[in-house]
Amino acid sequence: MAEILLKNAYVIDPISGINGELMDIAISGSRIVEEASQKAEVIDCQGYLTLPGGIDSHTHTSGTKVNFGRYMSPEDMRAGRTARRGPMHITSGYSVPTTYGNSYRYSALGYTTLIEGAMAPLEARHTHEEFKFTPLQDSFANTLFDGNWGMLRALEEGDITRAAAIIAWTLTAVKGFAIKLTNPGGTEAWGFGKNISCINEKIPTFDLTPADIIKGAIRANEMLHLPHSVHLHCNNLGTPGNYTCTIGTFDLVPDINDKRQSLYATHVQFHSYGGSGWGDFCSKSEPVARKVDFSPQIVIDMGQVMFGRTTTMTADGPMEFNLYRLHHDKWSNHDVELETGSGIIPVNYRKKNLVNSIMWAIGLELALLVKNPWQCLLTTDNPNGAPFVKYPEIIALLMSKQYRDAEFATIHPDTEKRVPLPALDRELNWHEIAVMTRAGQARALGIIDLGKGYLMPGAEADIAIYPIKTDEIDPSAEYEKVIAGFSRTEYTIKRGRVVSRRGDAIIDGENTTYWVKPKVPAVYDMQHDPAFIELFERYYTVRMSNYPVQEEYLHRNYCIETETDL
Amino acid sequence: MRCTLSSGRTVPQGSFVEHKLSKGYQKATSILYMHPLDLMDLGIESGDRVRVTSDYGSVILTAEATEDIQTNNAYIALGPYANAITGGYTHATGMPDYKDIAVEIEPTDEPVPTVWELMEIIGGVRYGN
Amino acid sequence: MEIRDVPCPFCGCLCDDISVRLDDNRILGVENCCTLGNAKFLSKGRLQHPIMRKNGKWVEVSYEEAIDETARILSDAVRPLLYGWSGTVGEAQVVGVHLGEEIGALIDSTTSVCHNPSILAIQEVGHPGCTLGQVKNRADLVIYWGCNPIEAHPRHMSRYTTYADGYFIDNTVTDRKVIVVDIRRSEGAKVADEFIQIKPGGDYLVLSALRAMVRGRDDVVPDSVAGVKKEQLQRVASLMQKAKFGAVFFGLGITMSRGKYKNVRNAIELVSELNRKTKFTISAMRGHFNVYGFNEVLTWMAGYPFAVDFSRGIAFYNPGETTVIDLLERKEPDACLVIASDPGAHFPKSTIEHMAAIPTVQIDPCVNATTALCQVQIPVAITGIEAAGTAYRMDGVPIRMKKIIETNFPTDQEILERIVTRIREMKRDG
Repeated sequence: MAEILLKNAYVIDPISGINGELMDIAISGSRIVEEASQKAEVIDCQGYLTLPGGIDSHTHTSGTKVNFGRYMSPEDMRAGRTARRGPMHITSGYSVPTTYGNSYRYSALGYTTLIEGAMAPLEARHTHEEFKFTPLQDSFANTLFDGNWGMLRALEEGDITRAAAIIAWTLTAVKGFAIKLTNPGGTEAWGFGKNISCINEKIPTFDLTPADIIKGAIRANEMLHLPHSVHLHCNNLGTPGNYTCTIGTFDLVPDINDKRQSLYATHVQFHSYGGSGWGDFCSKSEPVARKVDFSPQIVIDMGQVMFGRTTTMTADGPMEFNLYRLHHDKWSNHDVELETGSGIIPVNYRKKNLVNSIMWAIGLELALLVKNPWQCLLTTDNPNGAPFVKYPEIIALLMSKQYRDAEFATIHPDTEKRVPLPALDRELNWHEIAVMTRAGQARALGIIDLGKGYLMPGAEADIAIYPIKTDEIDPSAEYEKVIAGFSRTEYTIKRGRVVSRRGDAIIDGENTTYWVKPKVPAVYDMQHDPAFIELFERYYTVRMSNYPVQEEYLHRNYCIETETDL
Repeated sequence: MRCTLSSGRTVPQGSFVEHKLSKGYQKATSILYMHPLDLMDLGIESGDRVRVTSDYGSVILTAEATEDIQTNNAYIALGPYANAITGGYTHATGMPDYKDIAVEIEPTDEPVPTVWELMEIIGGVRYGN
Repeated sequence: MEIRDVPCPFCGCLCDDISVRLDDNRILGVENCCTLGNAKFLSKGRLQHPIMRKNGKWVEVSYEEAIDETARILSDAVRPLLYGWSGTVGEAQVVGVHLGEEIGALIDSTTSVCHNPSILAIQEVGHPGCTLGQVKNRADLVIYWGCNPIEAHPRHMSRYTTYADGYFIDNTVTDRKVIVVDIRRSEGAKVADEFIQIKPGGDYLVLSALRAMVRGRDDVVPDSVAGVKKEQLQRVASLMQKAKFGAVFFGLGITMSRGKYKNVRNAIELVSELNRKTKFTISAMRGHFNVYGFNEVLTWMAGYPFAVDFSRGIAFYNPGETTVIDLLERKEPDACLVIASDPGAHFPKSTIEHMAAIPTVQIDPCVNATTALCQVQIPVAITGIEAAGTAYRMDGVPIRMKKIIETNFPTDQEILERIVTRIREMKRDG
């Protein structure tokens, strides 16, 4: 087995309680081990900052909607093209790069694990096909259940166990990882062009409210002992005044898992808005952050907005239509039968736009206001708030008040009256950044047991070595160096192999897809449930036998089997 | 007679798609559908042959009456016969004018060529018979 | 033996409920299939050996010699063209894209001559669409515009629209209205509640008139538009706005006729406009069973759905320039690989004249019109019957095609991989 010895690594490994120690790391095969033999290839890390490989717990990189974002945007493809070089294939795209583009660029940033934020079960094969061509990162797929008729019917009948059984069958069939709810109830209402405006409003076509769906899904999730919690994109995304809906949603969440949160709320920046309209639009990051501080059962991610062009894409079809009516640019929509929706529009976040400026501030505020970094993870909801290549800038903004102030001086002048950001002095440290970009993700996703997110013996050898000497840089003043350092690793190591060196991918790589398989007793096996089969065969346009993602799509994969309470 | 010609799919054309050299395919793709009044104007009946000429070429087809189209319009299944009179200009879109082709239609006694013959005219070599 | 739930490798409907009766590795009969699919499943007659033209005559050759010659032709080419792809699976298309990238080829698919204008329109204004089941379960108004489902997609109406069982539709025949818009009274028109017969080339005008009406500007519409009476358009505009869920399906009738992508753009904008009042979707009636799959594959690998030129070492896309017809019309390619399509039958005369003049290779199970234009033809397994893999339905739903017959013929993917390997060997050996 190939061995590597990393010498003089300056390690921050929050899960293992290591905060800046100069040490050696031995790798044998795909794992970190106690020690390496004499034959090990030695890499001198020169005291550079060495972290577990980055984990993006909410990104859109693979599948139907992402690919349609590319398909409809030749202008974006032209904006990010690179030539074939060494083992690297050509890439296209800036905000929605091609699969190779995503993989190489994430690898250059030190990321080794990606969670696709929203996979429609019916189109799961597509997501898995793109995973295969995202070779330098391991892949997980959050699976959409917000408008799943089988699950909604079970919840309507008050039968949580049946809902859990349907979730188990679907996750296993489509090789998904976790339950994703996107605007629960809203995507179903959008099937007839409607939306839901409150967690307590009835969905037009089912005797349920979003609150019923969220609570039901959380309980079902824990009955199945899934590694991750329910992953929620709240209702009312992007609407002025929506913070009350967000806080109301958090109030629904019981604390029922002692290893991790019971709810992961994603891109909360988009859900922390005050005001009654665009005229008095303002930040409500403070009450939302306070709510998170008092709710250990909740983990959020930022959904930071950065200025410039990007592409928005979400299963939240009605929200994208509203956005289209604001922007009047091109608009795509793709509803998925019996399951969910989706929409895409390109946007340009402008500094001169007051609303955009406030949005930018809110994301940063959440990260600075939430006391515990394990509860607020760094994302842009790539590419919705910004393409992931902006992560180094976001890290620098969080570490430097001076940088924030310099940026603040360039945005819409009225922003000051609408946001608390200028008053926030907190500057995050290296350890907090490590938590917010890998360790926190590993814990929130429940994948520490799989060897993710830390650097002790037994862990997967997924490692990022950044050309940063923490004792030689003052991040609060030298933020340019922070940006440069996090933009290009010296080495990115994936599963024990150096996959990326100073920004270039150096081998073809091969990803691993992780998926869950809850062990369900025969009586709850939906494969043989007459009512479930009937719903399927009558209303889907694909035969039930052709629906599951076949083994052929899982070249390298890891099945997480869970015991259940069913 | 001046006509506007469009091409498109038909069931017989599609059924023979795996057998492009068959008589069935040849027949399915070389029928020119015209309004009965236009056939009367030309002094011909269904089953008679016509020469169809566009700016890009000329081909012999078999006329057939249908009231499904309007007068001064003609329809043909897509295929090598239609393409013998279709131009390669795309108006910078990549898409040739497969529809709305201005054509001149006249009666003729000449035979309808086979698909192989059409391919040989442009430099191809038939395989088998 | 009966194999159930077999996806049909004919059109973009990708019906996956076909039952095939087999005996001794031969197909005896097919159930649930339309005439077109039936003909494909039961098709007989194919090319048995690779063939090559030597001294103007066709001779049978080994696979090795045919692959060798193909590799030589592609290696020698300065401006190679890789064309076709829609009749094979994604796994083979992927190899094709990598091949194109490696030799700096221009790669294009049959999309170029079918829904290319739809893609151009989508790239301008987006695409409000949905999966076909959404229409089946919800649509109370279905509009077929410039397409002919009964002849081109024979089971579209029974599986997805007019005659399909729908969750929110009590009686599918009476509760759904069907409008057909066409230049001729097609078979579909005969079963429609409304038939709008447009003069050829008039789609753009009629779409504009409807948009005006949906915006409440009936006053600007003249009494007759492209042969259609204003009263009928008013009736249709009203039906559209009263629908709970309207679904537009469009075909080559608007992509190929005058205006091309601007017609599609106008149709999409009509649908976007209607979404301000009710729910509306629009979808292209894609032809080949996996024409959409190639668009997907090329997009995730290179960034664009069709017409990608790799000759500059990056993916360059400029429809009108990098599209296959324009390329051939300019007589640019000096070698051509055709796979899973038949340009000989479907391209304008002047363009295939050039294909006949340059070394052209075809990978296809059957002798077809393109055979006559080739120097080499390599027969392969029939995808979806003798070879498995991924196809994308017209609405983007991926379905795994099955292998139901054992064969000694190699698959498209295998042949392409052998060509790539041979090209690398030649390059290495100088």
